[in-house]
Amino acid sequence: MAAVTLTNVVKRFGTFEVVHGANLDIADGEFVVFVGPSGCGKSTLLRMVAGLEDISGGEIAIGGKVVNDVEPADRGIAMVFQSYALYPHMTVEQNLSFGLRMNGNPKADTERRVKRAAEILCIDELMQRRPKQLSGGQRQRVAIGRAIVREPQVFLFDEPLSNLDAELRVQMRVEISRLHKELGVTMIYVTHDQTEAMTLADRIVVLKAGNVEQIGAPLDLYDDPTNRFVAGFIGSPKMNFIAAKVVETSNSAAVVELVNHGGARLRKPLCEAFPTVGTEVMLGVRPEHFFEAGEGDCDIPVKADVAEHLGSVSYVYADAGPEELIIEREARRQRASSDHFTVSIKAERSLLFDRTGARIR
Amino acid sequence: MRYRNATAYRFLTPYLLIFAIFWIWPIISSFLISFQATRTVPWRFAPTFNWGRLIGDPAFFNALKNTLLILVIQVPVMISLAIVMAVLLNSPLLKARGLYRFAFFAPVVVGEVAYSAVFRLMFSLDFGIVNKLLNSVGLPKIDWFSNVTPAMALIMIAVTWRWAGYNAIIILAGLQSIPDDVYEAATLDRVSKVKQFFHITLPLLKPVIVFCAVLSIIGTMQLFTEPFLITERGGPGGGTETLGLLLYRQGFRSLNFGYASAVAYTMAGLAIAITLVQLWLTREPK
Ligand SMILES: Nc1ncnc2c1ncn2[C@@H]1O[C@H](COP(=O)(O)OP(=O)(O)OP(=O)(O)O)[C@@H](O)[C@H]1O
Ligand SMILES: [Mg+2]
Repeated sequence: MAAVTLTNVVKRFGTFEVVHGANLDIADGEFVVFVGPSGCGKSTLLRMVAGLEDISGGEIAIGGKVVNDVEPADRGIAMVFQSYALYPHMTVEQNLSFGLRMNGNPKADTERRVKRAAEILCIDELMQRRPKQLSGGQRQRVAIGRAIVREPQVFLFDEPLSNLDAELRVQMRVEISRLHKELGVTMIYVTHDQTEAMTLADRIVVLKAGNVEQIGAPLDLYDDPTNRFVAGFIGSPKMNFIAAKVVETSNSAAVVELVNHGGARLRKPLCEAFPTVGTEVMLGVRPEHFFEAGEGDCDIPVKADVAEHLGSVSYVYADAGPEELIIEREARRQRASSDHFTVSIKAERSLLFDRTGARIR
Repeated sequence: MRYRNATAYRFLTPYLLIFAIFWIWPIISSFLISFQATRTVPWRFAPTFNWGRLIGDPAFFNALKNTLLILVIQVPVMISLAIVMAVLLNSPLLKARGLYRFAFFAPVVVGEVAYSAVFRLMFSLDFGIVNKLLNSVGLPKIDWFSNVTPAMALIMIAVTWRWAGYNAIIILAGLQSIPDDVYEAATLDRVSKVKQFFHITLPLLKPVIVFCAVLSIIGTMQLFTEPFLITERGGPGGGTETLGLLLYRQGFRSLNFGYASAVAYTMAGLAIAITLVQLWLTREPK
């Protein structure tokens, strides 16, 4: 078992810098998820921890030992690849035992470890099959099994579920969670799916274009994002951003006018920064944080455009001037009499961002 | 035949006609000729005349022995060499890969007569660069053309030079189809590069290697150009005569078409048999 520490980690491909000084402390036994849009450097960061990519700058330590110049096999890690990377010509059993056999591990111990992994993942029945004869989910299990067999201190997963269908993804997600509890080892997990990140992580690391945007527990990121990018990335459907202008300010609050909503005004209590009157800002409101007319601090009329009915809730895509809002509403069985309705925003359920995207608290 | 297809077949007719006249007919015809005595005019039907002779003919067994000897030595050596070349070509450390790929492929494009002439020059007793090189490192000259063993070796070297690169290119394509992450997984499993080669690369290349081996076996069974041009019609004294040469000698020098046809069918039959055995030996389990 081991903690993982990244200090000012930089990665350059040639002269092209893709990771710009990442700092991160992962505690022993923690489940950390790297999340971010495609191309932001998640895989690169993970592969540097694994030792599959050189580290261009900074330090990575595993279990207190700097591993910059340590061979991948000696880092005490195991990795599950997005494409599974199973050995196509070997049976499941051979796939699991290959590494141990090649290193002259005692036969009895190899068998014990393979058996244990097979039991944990319920793949006993598949041991004599080849990867070609397995379904995607089964291959994924074998890939995880191959990692378990190594008895690593740190598990690395690179988008392990992205090739599976939605249902299987949910099922495997639960299993990975269970595996983490059972083994109690450190896990680093890469995904671009924020739902996966939210459900699995002890802590989430949000990356954007090679920079760490925010690190925190899933609900902290949801409730208290430090900037507009994180606010938009965490939560599904996405947070709405409504253009606003500061029209009044005091030493404990600012009043903003929603410029596209007929001058509706909201008084937002603040404690850190007080923007000057006239500043253009963005008000962030999650779809699930719109209330019935009159229940909040600021009512805005909207016109429903399209609605998605999911059963328990409906997502209404509403035209509100030049802005489109996504509004979560309680699902109603009878047709609404009119497309026009009014929603209300609560000050404590909205977030203020300045024009650069930084949060105003 | 559906009307819809009729037009298509009309367009194909010229090709099919040529195919029938110049491919199918000779194949059938030579089979029939192999059962005829063709030393005397008119030819007469004598089923055992050629085939009976074949079984007891020392020239045939000499040619068969030479052909098989070349087969069992040259094909494995060439395929091994081709694998090594392909692995080197595939190395990320290699610069100017395109140039090497072209260079490896070039021998196939060179005319047979030209390359044979160059080989005769290079291996000539007194002026050849090969003997000069041997001399310069203190080894005695070798008379490549007058002794059977060096002559056979020369044939094998020439054929290998001509076809190793071609096979390497095919194997390279196979190598490139093995995903990188399989090797990365093996690296994490602490499997050395050498073990990766033997336990991952080779098994995954097997289908491609078998394909190359089958092509080479078929090619070697028909070997003709090199012993004809380089060692001058299978010399010294028939020491490098192959089945292909025997066929040529019987058919086109002695005009004994019946016997030549029998030899031709034996060559084809052997090639098929060896290929089948090889495919069976290297079949995928299950
Ligand atoms: N071998 C390489 N050479 C040059 N650039 C690379 C290389 N590998 C990755 N990159 C670049 O580094 C950046 C980060 O890539 P990375 O694979 O880490 O993204 P990612 O966050 O994992 O994206 P995805 O979600 O699509 O997998 C990308 O801009 C990519 O183009
Ligand atoms: Mg990736």
